[in-house]
Amino acid sequence: MDLKSTRPRPSRALDPLLACTRWLALVSGVPVLAGCSGIQSALDPAGNDAYEIYLLTIVMTVGGTLIFVGVTALLLYAIFSRPEQRAWLGTRRTIVYGGLAFPIVTLTFLLPYGLTVMRDTDVPTADALQIEVIGEQFWWRVRYPAEQGQPEVTTANEVALPIGRRVTVTVTAADVIHSFWIPNLAGKIDMIPGRVNRFSFTVERPGVYRGVCAEFCGDQHALMAFDVLAMEDAEFSAWRAAQAAPAREPVTPFLERGRELFRSGGCGNCHAIRGTEANGQFGPDLTHVGSRRTIGAGQFPNNIGTLGGWIANTQHLKPGVRMPSYGMLTGEDLRAIAGYLESLK
Amino acid sequence: MNAPESPKSFERDTSEFPNPVPRPKDELEKLKRPWVPPKGLSFITAVNNTYVGMWYVGTALLFFVLAGILALIMRTQLASPESDLVGHDLYNQLFTMHGTVMMFLFAVPAVEAASVYLLPNMQAARDLPFPRLSAYAFWAYFVGGLVFFSTIFFGLAPKSGWFMYPPLSSLKYSPEDNADWWLLGIGFIEISAIAGAIEIIVGVMKTRAIGMSLDKMPIYSWAMIVFAAMIIVGFPAIILGTLLLEMERAFDWPFFIAERGGDPLLWQHLFWFFGHPEVYIIFIPATGMVSMIVPALAQTPLVGYRLIVLALIATGFLSFGLWVHHMFATGLPKMSLSFFSAASTAVAVPSGIQVFAWIATIAAGRMKLNTPSLFIIGFLFIFVLGGLTGVMVAMVPFDWQAHDTYFVVAHLHYVLIGGMVFPLFAALYFWIPAASKRPLSERLGRWVFGLMFLGVNVTFFPMHITGLIGMPRRVYTYPVGMEWHELNLISTVGAFMIAAGVALFIYDMLRNFRPVQDQNAGNVWNAGTLEWLPNGNYGVRSIPVITSREPLWDQANLAKDVEAGRYYLPGTVTGGRETIVTSPFDARPQYILQIPGPGWQPLLAAVFTAGFFLLLTVKLVFPSIVCGVLAVGCVIWWLWETDPGPVRPPADIGGGFTVPVYVTGPMNHSWWGMISLLVVCGMIFTCLVFSYLFLWLVNPGAWPPEGVVVPHFLYGAVVGALYLASAALIVWASRNLRGEDRRRPASVPILIAIALLLFVAGSAMDLWSHWQTGLSPKEHAYGAAVYGIVSFQVLFVGVTLIMGLYTIARWLAGKLDSVRRTTFDNTMLFWYYTTAQGLGGAAVVYGFPKLVGGY
Amino acid sequence: MLGGFLAWAVQFTVIYGVTSTVCARGWADTTVLGAGIVPFTVAGTTLVAAVAAAAFLVHALRKHRRLQSADASVTDVFLIQGAVLISAFSIAAILWHGLPALILPACS
Repeated sequence: MDLKSTRPRPSRALDPLLACTRWLALVSGVPVLAGCSGIQSALDPAGNDAYEIYLLTIVMTVGGTLIFVGVTALLLYAIFSRPEQRAWLGTRRTIVYGGLAFPIVTLTFLLPYGLTVMRDTDVPTADALQIEVIGEQFWWRVRYPAEQGQPEVTTANEVALPIGRRVTVTVTAADVIHSFWIPNLAGKIDMIPGRVNRFSFTVERPGVYRGVCAEFCGDQHALMAFDVLAMEDAEFSAWRAAQAAPAREPVTPFLERGRELFRSGGCGNCHAIRGTEANGQFGPDLTHVGSRRTIGAGQFPNNIGTLGGWIANTQHLKPGVRMPSYGMLTGEDLRAIAGYLESLK
Repeated sequence: MNAPESPKSFERDTSEFPNPVPRPKDELEKLKRPWVPPKGLSFITAVNNTYVGMWYVGTALLFFVLAGILALIMRTQLASPESDLVGHDLYNQLFTMHGTVMMFLFAVPAVEAASVYLLPNMQAARDLPFPRLSAYAFWAYFVGGLVFFSTIFFGLAPKSGWFMYPPLSSLKYSPEDNADWWLLGIGFIEISAIAGAIEIIVGVMKTRAIGMSLDKMPIYSWAMIVFAAMIIVGFPAIILGTLLLEMERAFDWPFFIAERGGDPLLWQHLFWFFGHPEVYIIFIPATGMVSMIVPALAQTPLVGYRLIVLALIATGFLSFGLWVHHMFATGLPKMSLSFFSAASTAVAVPSGIQVFAWIATIAAGRMKLNTPSLFIIGFLFIFVLGGLTGVMVAMVPFDWQAHDTYFVVAHLHYVLIGGMVFPLFAALYFWIPAASKRPLSERLGRWVFGLMFLGVNVTFFPMHITGLIGMPRRVYTYPVGMEWHELNLISTVGAFMIAAGVALFIYDMLRNFRPVQDQNAGNVWNAGTLEWLPNGNYGVRSIPVITSREPLWDQANLAKDVEAGRYYLPGTVTGGRETIVTSPFDARPQYILQIPGPGWQPLLAAVFTAGFFLLLTVKLVFPSIVCGVLAVGCVIWWLWETDPGPVRPPADIGGGFTVPVYVTGPMNHSWWGMISLLVVCGMIFTCLVFSYLFLWLVNPGAWPPEGVVVPHFLYGAVVGALYLASAALIVWASRNLRGEDRRRPASVPILIAIALLLFVAGSAMDLWSHWQTGLSPKEHAYGAAVYGIVSFQVLFVGVTLIMGLYTIARWLAGKLDSVRRTTFDNTMLFWYYTTAQGLGGAAVVYGFPKLVGGY
Repeated sequence: MLGGFLAWAVQFTVIYGVTSTVCARGWADTTVLGAGIVPFTVAGTTLVAAVAAAAFLVHALRKHRRLQSADASVTDVFLIQGAVLISAFSIAAILWHGLPALILPACS
């Protein structure tokens, strides 16, 4: 079946990076060194919905700049030009045309445009890929329900998306309010306890993006992000199949030891590793933790070193998270556990 | 007894003055005597608007500086990625306090404070109609605000954001007292704001210069009446919100807990129904100031007076249709969002009108580039930019991206600093000559402006981009490599420029600000409005007739004639403080209001009110109750001295006007005050009923939840009948208390007493009927909502009880008769309101579940 | 004087209240006279409110003309002029609020 979106792709004429530079040049006297083409930037749209909003942004920025320049020029003219020259400006007519008629006309055009963009973005379709994301203090629980013979997948702090296919993310929260936001792909949607919200968008450009929590959710709101992997369809299917599989068996005694320490340390009370007896549901699922790009909800690159550091110093690296620091582990034990987790590709 | 109202506007030939000169020699002395402030320590009991206004403005500026320092710490932390200057816990307290203090302890009090000082002077009244109420509002704010702020030094400051969204702010996720400080601290600062608003409404409507009809009112007065009306409509929502959340935290009533039928979104609706108008509540008085300053500096009347009045009223209305634009990302249906998008665009029009009116006025006149005018220009520049980004975020899809990012931080600081801080600084530079022996320094002022103007733009302009390239708000740190750090560093530099400007301003104040009541620097701008008349503690010597919007320009020699006592009421007729009350539309003199003087009562009442709330916060329940009782006692002591009655026959104020010194009924100023208060109560109740209906909406099939029985409708009918019977007795008592013969029928206290019994019985029955069904307020939001409505009614019946007993006491003390009956009238109005509220509540609680198919 | 804005306030309350209730309870498929209940309510209320505001405008304009010929007080003329401006502006605001019915789906 055709999974590709029927919607047009972003116009190549407006290459995002180029447009972004233009945008800055338009609005800014401030020297901006930073580029806008980021992995977490609303000015670098990688999908149709983000692109339409981006276009709206450009239109409004240009329009706003023109109005701003116009009003400022009038103000300066009113102050500095010769009294007889500016006399025409000092009447009620100025207010009626400038303050009443002009905004009413402008806004009568802008409002329907805004409403149309709203109608055309975030539209669910029947064949959309379903993803469920639950916001928790301070990480993301991610689930792909089984569909069309493809098995269910549970993961955390990472969302993989096929390009060209509509995606509907169903969100809620387990504790406090969070907000799910991938700036390159779409706007944000709040995750509210007791409420289920849906949000749909399409990715058009493969790549790695970053999403963050946008609603203040407590101590570590600042360190609550996730990775977004946008990939071709086949690649996505492969990813999905791999994620659905149970965890790899340890292949060396060292890794074996890591698994044993994971078990005896009680890690399985909070974390699940499918295929082992660890089935805790409190924290992130670790079945394929080694395959993820980052750990700590988008905070640190994923390798043995950071994994070990995280386990030993959780409360130092991200104070206030639910997981305690396991500082009492010896260096060797720590390496073994970290090595085992890292092997869970 | 009441002066006749005439439909015709007040017009007279101003060539003849109402009072001849020379005036009797001792007249001025006699006028001055009651207005002398107390000496020594008792000076703090002064209630005159000039003193209270000045303290009030000073305190507001103190909080501006304090909250600004918090912002500097935050900016320093964010200057570089992964900075370790402050930890997450302190940072979260910092941004919560910065927002809360700036909004509740600086912005609203500052504009209210300025009007306490300016309004009476601008309207040539001797004082506000309820000076002790302003003193109460000030002291409650002063004591409560300082204690609240100091929590930051003990790590006890609230840290859930100034918006306090549950469940983050609920007991489960904020178990410490931090959140309670916010709820109780802010709750009662709102009470102070409402007290001020009622004062302003009555002040604008009832105490104006003679002939200052609605079309001649200074725009500032228009702005303040809209401001005050918005407060009494908007603030009740947040009062109710804080009440519900505190009930949830203290007694586990699950209004916002989803597992038990509550909904976190209910809070957001209540909060933003207040929170968005709040922005305009801050902005409107500032535009009022600008509309006064611009004509004075340009030396020409304001162009488009009528359009500006329209703009103010339009803003007042539309701002109540905007609240959901803070909730565009909460997943509400697009159709619902779009209504708020439409209102958010519509509200840009009134702002446009005002901006162009100021530009036209500047063009029509000649504006010199002095410090106040620089601040006005800076204001226009910054505010227009902020307004345009405001239109951008009004477009829902754009807001989905911009919401909760630094783009919004940039936007809101542009509108608030542009829309309120710059006008306020313009106002300080502009009006300080009216309150100080010396004006502020022009040379320093330009530096202050330059630093602040550049600083604001350097700080906040880059944030537009920071936000769009992905930086969310309320983060205590951000990772390296996100390309946000240069922009953040620039913002931090800008923040210190603003700080330098404010520091320079403080230095200027210390050097040049020398507060005086008379002998001030005078009309240095050659402005046209009445606050520039020569005045003293007593206000102006005589209250002028005005025939234009800029009387000082259009009425030659006005200042001299006013000072000579040629106009109305050049002395005192009762020997005490007094001012003329005028009719609300065309400002004809109606009666002489005897104004209370200094006293400890408002101060002590405020301190004990603050004590009640603050001690409750730290769970010292018993001392807190003691404070509460003392506060009520002080209020009664304070009230006891009011309602003086007709102490003398109607007095001649000049020009053939003989007006009474006491009236009752709808002409009376306290009648207006009571009506305003009842609007507040009615709004709280409306929000409560809205909450009930909202909770019904989110609980399909569970209203009432399984296993809960709604009491039989008969109970509701009996409760309603008891309330109605009680009100009928009060109607009867009121009929008996009529006549010019100052009769004191014994039936009055007896009827009141019986009515009280019926009232108490009604509310007791109300409470009992639910209790006997076994309904618990803790199990489900249904029970919480029902008991919320019922206990709100019980509270009001309790207040009626106190008022009824007080009225009986007045009768027993011989201070209540058929002429001197303002006390009775106020009690009566409150009684009728409470009856209506009780009937409405009963209809909802007993009737609604049946209506929607409950059992 | 405030008639126009009161018409707007009523319109706003009705359309928002009905949309929220209908969408929250899943009654969006209900039809009235062949139209969905939400667009029907929004369009209908907008029409009624706009007509009301227009009536206020006409009334104010007439009264204004009458007052100008008569020897009316400045305050009364001022109030009526205010009413003219307010009802005229509120017509624009009311129509803007009806716009979504033409563009957006009822509940999504």
